[in-house]
Amino acid sequence: MVPASLEIPVSGHRFSSVVPAKVTGGNKDFELTNMDLAMKLHYIKGVYFFQSEAAQGLSVHDLKVPMFECLEHYYTVSGRIRRSETGRPFIKCNDGGVRIIEARCNQTVDEWLATARDKDHSLDHMLAYDQVLGPDLGFSPLAFVQFTWFECGGISVGLSWAHVLGDAFSASEFLNAWAQIMAEEQLSSKVNDRVLKSEFPAFVSGKPFSLKKVDPVGDRWITANDSRTVTHSFHITGKQLHHYMTDKISDFEIISAIIWQSMSKVRIDLGPKTVTICSNNRLVRGDELAAQPVNGMTLSTVKADFCVSKVEIAELAKLIADRKVPENGLIEDLLSGDEEKSDFIVYGANLTFVNLEGADLYGLQLKGLKPVFVNYMINGVGDEGTCLIVPSNEKDGGNGKIVTMTLPEDQIEKLKSILENDWNISN
Amino acid sequence: MPPTLPDFSNSVNLKYVKLGYHYLVDHFLTLTLTPVMIGIVVEIVRLGPDELLNMWNSVHFDLIQLLCSSFLLVFIATVYFMSKPRCIYLVDYACYKPPVTCRVPFATFMEHSRLILSNNPKSVEFQMRILERSGLGEETCLPPAIHYIPPKPTMEAARGEAEVVIFSAMDSLFEKTGLKPKDIDILIVNCSLFSPTPSLSAMVINKYKLRSNIKSFNLSGMGCSAGLISIDLARDLLQVHPNSNAVVVSTEIITPNYYQGKERAMLLPNCLFRMGGAAILLSNRRSERRRAKYRLVHVVRTHKGADDKAYRCVFEEEDREGKVGINLSKDLMAIAGEALKSNITTIGPLVLPGSEQLLFLLTLIGRKIFNPKWKPYIPDFKMAFEHFCIHAGGRAVIDELQKNLQLSAEHVEASRMTLHRFGNTSSSSLWYEMNYIESKGRMKKGDRVWQIAFGSGFKCNSAVWKCNRTIKTPTGGPWDDCIDRYPVHIPEVVKL
Repeated sequence: MVPASLEIPVSGHRFSSVVPAKVTGGNKDFELTNMDLAMKLHYIKGVYFFQSEAAQGLSVHDLKVPMFECLEHYYTVSGRIRRSETGRPFIKCNDGGVRIIEARCNQTVDEWLATARDKDHSLDHMLAYDQVLGPDLGFSPLAFVQFTWFECGGISVGLSWAHVLGDAFSASEFLNAWAQIMAEEQLSSKVNDRVLKSEFPAFVSGKPFSLKKVDPVGDRWITANDSRTVTHSFHITGKQLHHYMTDKISDFEIISAIIWQSMSKVRIDLGPKTVTICSNNRLVRGDELAAQPVNGMTLSTVKADFCVSKVEIAELAKLIADRKVPENGLIEDLLSGDEEKSDFIVYGANLTFVNLEGADLYGLQLKGLKPVFVNYMINGVGDEGTCLIVPSNEKDGGNGKIVTMTLPEDQIEKLKSILENDWNISN
Repeated sequence: MPPTLPDFSNSVNLKYVKLGYHYLVDHFLTLTLTPVMIGIVVEIVRLGPDELLNMWNSVHFDLIQLLCSSFLLVFIATVYFMSKPRCIYLVDYACYKPPVTCRVPFATFMEHSRLILSNNPKSVEFQMRILERSGLGEETCLPPAIHYIPPKPTMEAARGEAEVVIFSAMDSLFEKTGLKPKDIDILIVNCSLFSPTPSLSAMVINKYKLRSNIKSFNLSGMGCSAGLISIDLARDLLQVHPNSNAVVVSTEIITPNYYQGKERAMLLPNCLFRMGGAAILLSNRRSERRRAKYRLVHVVRTHKGADDKAYRCVFEEEDREGKVGINLSKDLMAIAGEALKSNITTIGPLVLPGSEQLLFLLTLIGRKIFNPKWKPYIPDFKMAFEHFCIHAGGRAVIDELQKNLQLSAEHVEASRMTLHRFGNTSSSSLWYEMNYIESKGRMKKGDRVWQIAFGSGFKCNSAVWKCNRTIKTPTGGPWDDCIDRYPVHIPEVVKL
């Protein structure tokens, strides 16, 4: 008799593929921008939980059919990575498709979320496939969708998305489009040409700090970490943030400041002096269908010349808001030049804060019902760690946030105690 | 023409000589009888009506002789009309169109292969090379159970596929013809590799609540040529049962037959066989004469099973690991050629015009008596048929037949395009090809169609149809949404 704690909760995996409904044809090749290639070693995971009312009567066939039409629009997601004669990767739109996984969980949705609150959502990764592109690069799907059925009849939808395709906003838009097709709503087709070159001129010349070069990874696009990293999620309610709210500072900056200061107390070397901020200037409106997925985020760095652990939060937040230096232009220059063939990481090169505040995560609806909980994570993160700030669902009284940290194992426990003691932030 | 006269074949004059020769021989009877008739008419006119009346009166008839003669005439006429075979009409047919959710692009097929056969890179390479040269397109379909990695072929899934394919085709047939289920007198279902109990024909009877005195048959194991065998059976039954409707359902169920091992000869069918099915309504009722699309003229069946090599060339067996698959031998093309020759020898005299037959006979006599080195004369079947439907078994089969029968690219276009769009759908592929020709607006009244199918055994079956009425487009068939894109150029090798 296997003790409940050792039983694997998610099992019965069945793999299949979904392809675009119409032939993409013409052997379309999709060029990858330098920003895409800078992000290639990272993977985004999103898990959406639905109660049984939303999933009632939905078979796996009902869930797959809208995906065919969705992939007709998002034909790059169905493609595969190939290398051109110069060795530069591009996407061949050969209709390879998206991998679909069906699985079962032996808990109910409420049980899972309750356990997750205790264990900081560290098991959520079981609900989305652990994706790595390669070693068979030309035959690795760029996206996986996992449907997990729970004992109560509820369902979770887990998206695994290679960052080389696009940012988390694109990933969320892709899934929202799928749900819209399932609800038989018309997708407004706004076709944009992808922005091939970054629009940001270089203000400063020199090397970008937000990137870190890693050893060549060849055809297996994941970086090795010095120590094991784990992912934990925290809830911050709107009330807690309200204390520090001022006009010019957003929730994101406040939370980033809190985390930065806490990390400086956790680390022996007094914490990082430079952090990377990843934000997105696109406003996502509900009725717009995005064009092909794109890496449209702005990467900036913030340097602190003072001791981070000793200042007021408001001041630190102001520093982040005002003094961040966009580095997209520098990144573009770096990757167009000598370092074209090198491999880099962005998330975890420095302590990275990713702002997903504007993402319409709760816009993914099954049968008109919103998910009860949505969580996003990033895989392939470097040793400095990453912090994702994601909107919470409205039950929390509006403006709560979920903060998902990916850090080396030994730092996570200390961070948890600091957050609990100093800020009253817990799971 | 014998090779002793070399340069003439390029001469335009020879072309006219050939045309003259064909016209002379084909219309021989007309050409001989016409002068005779003219002679008689001239003679009668010359004699004048009085002379004729005298001739008539001089022949003495008494009552008994008159009665006996007329009785004899009536008797002979009755025997003639009774023994004439009934006309079999093909009222209409419907082909199954798989949904887009079953679509399998090359990239997906190869990726799944790599994952399933991860320990056998050589087998994966082999499949890739086959697929590149197969002549299939990116829109062929496999049933849902085969989309899983690894495939999940349960009996339930196989039945599910059979239901979807057969019932869709039948619903479409009912809609097109206005046929009521209760009016079906004969039902023949052929599916080679899936034969559950109760049979697929029982499944159809159950679904549509057909009559309890229906004559139903289920043909299994007879390979890709079973479609024409079913047509032959229906024809024979319709000779015995007057005023009847026969429905023939031809399909191949892929789900239980996907080979899961690594033997290369057995992986080949996985690359080529795809989902498909057709339902055909045949009738001997005179009331269908007007609206029927085709009339069945001949069915010729040739079986080479007596030869051991032919018998074993398409063989279902277990591989070394116990996995069941269909083994295709390397002599397949040679045996197919032999079977085709046999079939042509039988069908030739039935369909070829007298001129071609005479030429063939003369060359045959010449080879036997004068000089065995003379090239055998290949009759020009293009004179006997307007359209050809060659079973889309694979690119090699179509190439081989095109060469042997000296057909142009347009003649084999229907077969090649069906292979591209739908893959090898086994016994139903002939009906997709027929529909292609109709959808292109090429089928006119009086056109003759030759359907040729090869199958395990080794069999070569042919059917000859004559078009009853010009068929308008669109036909309401599986080509409606894509016919404008065809014909496509299919490259020798598609780079994956």
